[in-house]
Amino acid sequence: MTARERIRNAMDFKDVDAIPWVESFYEETLMKFFSEGLPANEIAVVEWVMSQDGLQILNWPKFMGFDPYSYFGCSTFWGRVVPVDIGPIPRFKQRKISENARHEEYIMETGARSRRLKKGVTKTTWYTMPQFYEFPVKDKKSWEQYKVRLNPEDPRRYPKDWEEDGYLQFLDEYEKGPVMLSITGFYAFGAELMGIPNFNVAFYKDPELVEDMLSHWEYFTIESVRQAVETLKDRIDMVFWWEDMAEKHGPNISPKLYREFLLPHYKKAIGFLNNNKICRIMMDSDGNTQAILDLAIEAGITGHWPLEVNSGMDVRSLRKRYGKKLFLAGNFDKREIAKGGEAMRKEIDSKLPLMKETGGYVAGLDHLVHVEFTLDRFREYAAYLKQKLIVE
Amino acid sequence: MENVLRDISSAIRDLGGSEKLEGLINEALSRNIAASDIVERGLRVGLEEVGAKYEACEYFLSELLFGASMMDGAMRILRPKLKKEAIEKKGTILVGTVRGDMHDIGKNIFRILAEGAGFEVTDLNVDVDPDVFMKETRDIRPEVLGLSCLLTTALPEIEKVISMLTEGKLRGGLKVLIGGNAVTKEFGQEVGADAAALDAVQGVDLCKGWVKP
Repeated sequence: MTARERIRNAMDFKDVDAIPWVESFYEETLMKFFSEGLPANEIAVVEWVMSQDGLQILNWPKFMGFDPYSYFGCSTFWGRVVPVDIGPIPRFKQRKISENARHEEYIMETGARSRRLKKGVTKTTWYTMPQFYEFPVKDKKSWEQYKVRLNPEDPRRYPKDWEEDGYLQFLDEYEKGPVMLSITGFYAFGAELMGIPNFNVAFYKDPELVEDMLSHWEYFTIESVRQAVETLKDRIDMVFWWEDMAEKHGPNISPKLYREFLLPHYKKAIGFLNNNKICRIMMDSDGNTQAILDLAIEAGITGHWPLEVNSGMDVRSLRKRYGKKLFLAGNFDKREIAKGGEAMRKEIDSKLPLMKETGGYVAGLDHLVHVEFTLDRFREYAAYLKQKLIVE
Repeated sequence: MENVLRDISSAIRDLGGSEKLEGLINEALSRNIAASDIVERGLRVGLEEVGAKYEACEYFLSELLFGASMMDGAMRILRPKLKKEAIEKKGTILVGTVRGDMHDIGKNIFRILAEGAGFEVTDLNVDVDPDVFMKETRDIRPEVLGLSCLLTTALPEIEKVISMLTEGKLRGGLKVLIGGNAVTKEFGQEVGADAAALDAVQGVDLCKGWVKP
């Protein structure tokens, strides 16, 4: 069974020879691992492409990044992603606005303004998110201006070499993990453009604006991905539906608002995907999402990742409550796993047996591999987990 | 008098919207009800009820923020009048996100709710150096110091600030409240914080318990 088949089967609650294992690394974790002995030459990905991105008619090997996943024996949801650009086009030009000894302020490509740490002022530079202090959408007028950049018909949304037959073959041959379509969800999109507090308040203060934003996002999402979806259909193994719509206490918006504002748009967008045989729809949200999970399932969500333990998420109770309605991914407490030894083994052993028995599970941490992992501890975790994943 | 104040608190509790609330405040003012009574017996009661509903999971972040935003709008009308009445502050809180951590949403929500509850809040923003916490604690002499932290990598900063406060003999009369996603009650006990709040509402409730008029 290939890793891709294994993940597909797991998400469908079908038999697997081993529980699939998926992780995501922070860039800074990998950099730390390099300093601890991870061999960069063994995980470097180099491919023959047109030299200098096509500036010379010459084939030349190009450094494409790193593949730590194959090295450790896991997969990533991001191994093969359907290449549709759903960002603002044209992008806002990223530029530095100001700096002091410790911070730099930027206009980001989404149009937000942020303050971030300068490289070298702390042990980690990119691990902490920037502080976003101004957002591009503030009201109806700024939304109308922004909307112009969200035109699904813009030909730049697909790569220059997008060619249906080529992509079909390219995707058919991929085995290391799922072929994934990434969608920015209705909450995440609004929060990204307005900021979480402003967007949350707008549901009450300016519901017409919120509805217009969500309606446009539904239209924009469906029409942007239409060509890829209608061409690739079930070659797309899963949809990674990014929402990040919860905190420790619960979801950022109430079930009432979810039902009133989000649910109709979810149903239309997911209905479009389902009509094209794309049926594995996994919601990515940190925090405690439990209060909206019934609605998410009604909306068409079929899986959930990463199930943060610190926020009260637990695969055992979720499985009991939802059975086969929801495949589950993640939920190994990153803090316990990073401790290694008995704490790591106990965390895995407390959850994996039930998930092996009931199926519908993709193993992994309850978030990205964070910088407090040492390479040795991650290797220890990988070695222990891999032998436990095998289904007898 | 009681009816209109009750209507004001209900308007916030039931998230009736700023327009309705402003109408009720104007009605209360036209009846010569003191601005301080409108705040204390109307607005703050309503916001407390929003907080209680949030804790009971009847409301979520959206409702909490909208309730606070209604309060904020009302305060803009009442603030000039409150200056004349010299309303008594509940106490002073100094708050900031610790060094190495740029997250601010949780801290900002805490600040908004604490201000709504009547505290005077000085917000040091994010990535705050321990020396700055020390200096501001010395200068402002707050009743509560709130340390926010979302990243586990930044947790040692909380311990550092607390031990500096102890060494600097600044703990007397000062409560240290910690909060943020990385924080647990166990961690709070380990590092000698007075309490760890799991969310902003809990944090404000703790402050109210500590600082009694």
